[in-house]
Amino acid sequence: MSAGPRNFRAWFEAYLAAFNRADFDGFGAYYADDVIFHGQAALLHGRDAVLDFYRMVRARLDEQVELVSFVGATGCRRIAAELRTTLLAREDWLDMPTGAMRAGDKRQSVNIVLYDLHEYRFTQVRSARLWPQPGTPQ
Amino acid sequence: MTASERRFRDYMHAFNASDWDALRRFYAADVELVIGNGTTLRGRDAIVDFYRNVKSWTSRTIEILDCFSDGNMLAAELESEFVALIDAPDFPSRPMRRGDRYYINSFALYDFHGSEYRRIRAAVFRREFRPLTGDGSI
Repeated sequence: MSAGPRNFRAWFEAYLAAFNRADFDGFGAYYADDVIFHGQAALLHGRDAVLDFYRMVRARLDEQVELVSFVGATGCRRIAAELRTTLLAREDWLDMPTGAMRAGDKRQSVNIVLYDLHEYRFTQVRSARLWPQPGTPQ
Repeated sequence: MTASERRFRDYMHAFNASDWDALRRFYAADVELVIGNGTTLRGRDAIVDFYRNVKSWTSRTIEILDCFSDGNMLAAELESEFVALIDAPDFPSRPMRRGDRYYINSFALYDFHGSEYRRIRAAVFRREFRPLTGDGSI
């Protein structure tokens, strides 16, 4: 995988595109073997754990992530991304970690996600939820 | 360190020093700030009044764990420490008693134009509340 400051954002957008089409090999290649992943729904250690988690999630719902804002650090050492996530449940998932969903339910959230990188692999991913969320009164 | 990163460190220095006149100069007239609990503040006066009020209840300092900029946006990872100076049952994050400590690890994005911040949003990644124990001294 090659990338440099000139195409850092494009490199990250390719990650999101792979994620959105459920290309597990494609987006999995962005994770370090021992990545620490603090998602909204799970704390996971290692690429395999992250991919297993998303395979489980994708069996139950569709997830699309849109890049709202991108800030790339000099030297490609870190990314801050503002991401809008849209979930569409394919089946009832009443014990979903971030709140029950029923088949057909749609949910959006916006998060600031920090990605720590080493040699163009994510070594740590941390997600923090922005409030107010879409559809909630201010 | 870029000029925008140096300016951000100056901004946080003004905040930590409670230098309200200096702080005001970092904001555009129509600045919008969304703090971690979703409260939206619009305009320099609303922001400075809010912080002045918070600092009448608590000693608050913000440490920059990291900051980096890209174009007209800056991303920061921040650690805030609040120490309650008085009993503050209406403190925005949670009720606090004199001497209680509250830590917030947050991610923030700053849109700027020239030397002024126009839009700021912050999301809380981790919170830690440490109630005062013992004789009540701070």
